[in-house]
Amino acid sequence: MTTDRGTVRSLDDPNIWVDTPATIFDAVPPYPPRTEREAEFYHLRDGEMLLNLGPQHPSTHGVLRIVLKVDGERVTDLDPVLGYLHRGVEKICENGDWHHAISNCDPLEYVASMFSEAMPVLSAEKLLDLQIPRRAEYIRVLCWELNRIASHGLFIGWLALDLGGLTPLLYGFIERDRIVEMLASLTGQRMLFNYLRIGGVNRDLNHDFLSRLGDWMSKAAVELENETRLLNENEIFVRRTKGMGVLDRDTALRLCVTGPNLRAAGVPYDVRRAHPYSVYPELDFDIPTRDTGDSYARYLLRVDEIRESIRIIDQVLHEMPDGPIMAKIPRMIRIPPGRAFISVESPRGQYSCYAMSDGSDQPFRLRIHDPSYFTLQAVGHLMPGNLIADSMAIMASLDPVMGGVDK
Amino acid sequence: MSVISRPWNRLSLAGKIILPLFLLLIALTVLLLAGWQLGLIPAVIELLAEVVRSNIDIFRFILTATLTLLITIPVAFVIIYMEMKVIAFLAGRIGPNRVGPWGTLSSVFHGFKVLAKEDFTPTGADAAVFTVAPIITYLSSVLTLLVIPFAPGLVGLDMNIGLLYFFAVSGLTVVGLLTAGWSSFNKYSLLGGLRAAAQIVSYELPLLLAPVGIIMLAGTLSLNQIVIQQSGWFWDWYVFQQPIAFIVFFIAAAAEGNRTPFDLTEADSEIVAGFATEYSGMRFGFFFFAEYVNVFILSALTVVLFFGGWNAPIDPRPILEFFRIGSLTPAIDVSSMGIWLLWVLAIGVPLLVLLIALPLWLLKSGWSFLKSLVVAFVLFNVMAIAAVTIWAFLSFEVVVGLFWFIVKTFTFVFIFVWMRGTLPRVRIDQLMGFAWKWLVEIALLNVFVTAGAILLVQELARQ
Amino acid sequence: MGLMSKVPGWGMAMGMVYTFKRFVQPKVTIQYPEERQDISPHHRGRLVLLYDEAGNLKCETCFQCAMACPIEIIDMGGVDTKNRMHVHWGPPEQYAERREESALRRSGRPVSDKAFAAWLPIDLGPLERILVANDYDPRRLLTVLEQSQATYGYLPVAALQHISHSTGAWYSEIYGIATSYPHLVFEPGRVAEIGLCRCAACSLAGGGKVRDALVEALGIDVGGVTPDGSVRFSAADCGGDNGGQPLVTLDGQRQPGMTPDKARDLAQKLRAKSAKAANA
Repeated sequence: MTTDRGTVRSLDDPNIWVDTPATIFDAVPPYPPRTEREAEFYHLRDGEMLLNLGPQHPSTHGVLRIVLKVDGERVTDLDPVLGYLHRGVEKICENGDWHHAISNCDPLEYVASMFSEAMPVLSAEKLLDLQIPRRAEYIRVLCWELNRIASHGLFIGWLALDLGGLTPLLYGFIERDRIVEMLASLTGQRMLFNYLRIGGVNRDLNHDFLSRLGDWMSKAAVELENETRLLNENEIFVRRTKGMGVLDRDTALRLCVTGPNLRAAGVPYDVRRAHPYSVYPELDFDIPTRDTGDSYARYLLRVDEIRESIRIIDQVLHEMPDGPIMAKIPRMIRIPPGRAFISVESPRGQYSCYAMSDGSDQPFRLRIHDPSYFTLQAVGHLMPGNLIADSMAIMASLDPVMGGVDK
Repeated sequence: MSVISRPWNRLSLAGKIILPLFLLLIALTVLLLAGWQLGLIPAVIELLAEVVRSNIDIFRFILTATLTLLITIPVAFVIIYMEMKVIAFLAGRIGPNRVGPWGTLSSVFHGFKVLAKEDFTPTGADAAVFTVAPIITYLSSVLTLLVIPFAPGLVGLDMNIGLLYFFAVSGLTVVGLLTAGWSSFNKYSLLGGLRAAAQIVSYELPLLLAPVGIIMLAGTLSLNQIVIQQSGWFWDWYVFQQPIAFIVFFIAAAAEGNRTPFDLTEADSEIVAGFATEYSGMRFGFFFFAEYVNVFILSALTVVLFFGGWNAPIDPRPILEFFRIGSLTPAIDVSSMGIWLLWVLAIGVPLLVLLIALPLWLLKSGWSFLKSLVVAFVLFNVMAIAAVTIWAFLSFEVVVGLFWFIVKTFTFVFIFVWMRGTLPRVRIDQLMGFAWKWLVEIALLNVFVTAGAILLVQELARQ
Repeated sequence: MGLMSKVPGWGMAMGMVYTFKRFVQPKVTIQYPEERQDISPHHRGRLVLLYDEAGNLKCETCFQCAMACPIEIIDMGGVDTKNRMHVHWGPPEQYAERREESALRRSGRPVSDKAFAAWLPIDLGPLERILVANDYDPRRLLTVLEQSQATYGYLPVAALQHISHSTGAWYSEIYGIATSYPHLVFEPGRVAEIGLCRCAACSLAGGGKVRDALVEALGIDVGGVTPDGSVRFSAADCGGDNGGQPLVTLDGQRQPGMTPDKARDLAQKLRAKSAKAANA
């Protein structure tokens, strides 16, 4: 049928698919390049082709689209396209209460969501200059470290899966299931906990949680040894990860990469020691650091971090004080106008939030800096020059979570 | 016709299948008996035999195709089931356990599912090549079944260039994979196809060089002869005389079969499904039948070349002579029994079933008599099959040979599946580097050392 | 051990030995539905409204949960303790028929919603008389309920509350009994009343045939209620003034020109309407 915009074919037309030109499957857009970078990227030299590691892919960590320019098997350039998981979380937070922001910010980093809950909570507490009861602080640290172990356990599994090993993922999930069930007995949910409150935590420790925690702690170190034994000395795994994706110190600092990725490059920066928050100054733990900055170092570093977290949990359990778990705050919080910047050490790096309040009961602005977002910048530096298989392994070793990248 | 439709509607689904079959059976029996009496049946049989004799080629073709399908498809189903269960057990899971007893029917239903899927050709794909590629791959795997000796006397064609034929035909896989990757009009498939071609071509060399030592020791290319020369005790197997060749051959076989750690052609965390991304339905099914049959064939070849084929690990003759049993063939001369055979079948079988049913019914208070009869019938069948199997095992060396062959082959299949569940995969350049820089050199070294050793032994024997 | 780990392939072999060890160890799969996972009692799980030991709903409709919900997914409505205000809180955009009332809803002002007719206050006089006649006996609850329905046309919530207060039976018990019988209804308009005058003048004008038609269509005679409780067939009184036609009333309104066929149609229409309202 002919409209004033041209001819439109009905979907029942049997010929509709016949003369589809093959050029519509090209990744090069049909308009001329709009920027210099576009011109550079979409200019294909002889033998290069554009490969779309699309949003639906078995091993991108969430919905991430990367357009790779490959020369045979070697990646020469890449263009990540973000935004497939954008949910407008920051805007939603502005329309609700400070309390509503807790459950809205939960799904940002869904793998270890206590850290993303900490964003509105810690920033509100800082704006109110609130003193949290000691017991609540210790419980928070306990939950944070458990989340860290769960997240790193999952990382090990994903890294192995992206390299082809099917079983370490399932071993990792067995461990994560125990931790997550433990947290369910404490917070009521397995994944998006909604547990931290402005002024403390929601519920106190209970007998079920403590018995599960005790069970788990008695076997934690041994289980960790067992699981890493499958991968640590495996020749294939080592040869796939050693020397791959080397992120040297200067590049990492320039790109604002933080967390285990930065510590594997040799910079001993950990928010828990650099800008202490909560009761971390009272706890005794080391910051594991490695020098090489390759994928193998990042893997070994996260295993070391699991050990440190187990140490922290041990201390927290021994020194848990009694007392209330919530500070005395009014039900409707009206925060005086002000700004606050808080940051926590999440399993992926420095997770920070810049909060502005305008005196009403709704946050004026919650700007959340997710570490995965900055880590993904490193992908543009690390992938070119490697083979496609390696590029997936490198991205897995950086451990991004797209929930936080797209917010 | 409500006289028929009403009772018909009362039957359950199983009844609706069994009743017509039963009636058909009765009708056929009556017809056969009538035909036998009237002398029709021998005439019809003679006519059919005449037809078969004159078109023997077509019938041979049909028979071969049927046998091929009958062997490869159950083997593929068994290997698929093993893969699902073994990988699950390694990972601490259980795997399929609901569909049949212990989940055995699940791979059968996977086969049906693959048949039932939509069969399309993607836009822009080269339709003829797209259709033919899985056929080539399947063919190259299945044609090799001709020369593998399954049991003494049970070999398709005992060619005196059997090993050469095997490698020649299985090398056609490259053509299939490459055409599949090319004709799919998909960059992922192209990458996968090229990777597959590179991998298989690189590992052809170690795969061919490793058995050269065996060929020198055995003096023949015929697989049947190689197995016969390994008869005796398990230390006569060639793996103890050529251990390095075995390791090289095993690694090369894993790479030839696209098995982890060398499965980057189907690496689903990188390029979705490699060359088979655009395939669905039975074409995809063909690729994966071809892969699983390939696993079986490579395990079979390993067993034939290195582990004695159908030979038992121990030679039973000295033990039997020690116990003075002699040759063990409990022969039952069925033809001399005459009418007594009919009595045994008509009365003995029900009597035995009753004999088993009675204690069950008496001791299990919750069971009705019918239920205990049914259970007894099943148990009787199991015992009868076991008895027949044991008799066959003792009487025919074909059965013994087949049994040992299957046990050894499936041990190696288990090892392949175990490796798949444990090891990550290698990169394409590491894979090719490993083949060209290490395996080929080691295989060549093995050839030289074997040749030197044979010459040395011959020199010493002459003196 | 240190030397052996230099052998190429040793790490892989050790890995394979470990997985084989896991092969023979017990599996972690929980075979649902034969086995259930050990879920902590503190798990929030499915959200349900709780009842106390007397069978009363604990929810006070305080709207705290609806106000607190960040995604406004809780929908509730209720009255305050003195029956002054009906409040409906919920996302109005979900239901098309309530869209135009959305502004009114969140205002807190009384909402003229048919669904809340049951909560409107009623004249308790007739109910008192029924209760007195039944001696405030909670064991005669069914009789009381049927007579209340005959009086009010349906069972208002206020009536059930008054019965509960007066007889001492639990509200939930009365409600439970009432819902067990299909002829007891809780909304007005479900029961229609057809009145027929049987005086000589109306019978001469054709009332007998109309009565036969109605008896056949409804299945009951004058003074009864249809088994599904939708139509009450009562006696009316024309007072001698029928204008040459039999007096047939529908919910008190005179229906002119009633013939046996029209009466039959009317009865069937009423029963169909009631059935539709019951299924809606």
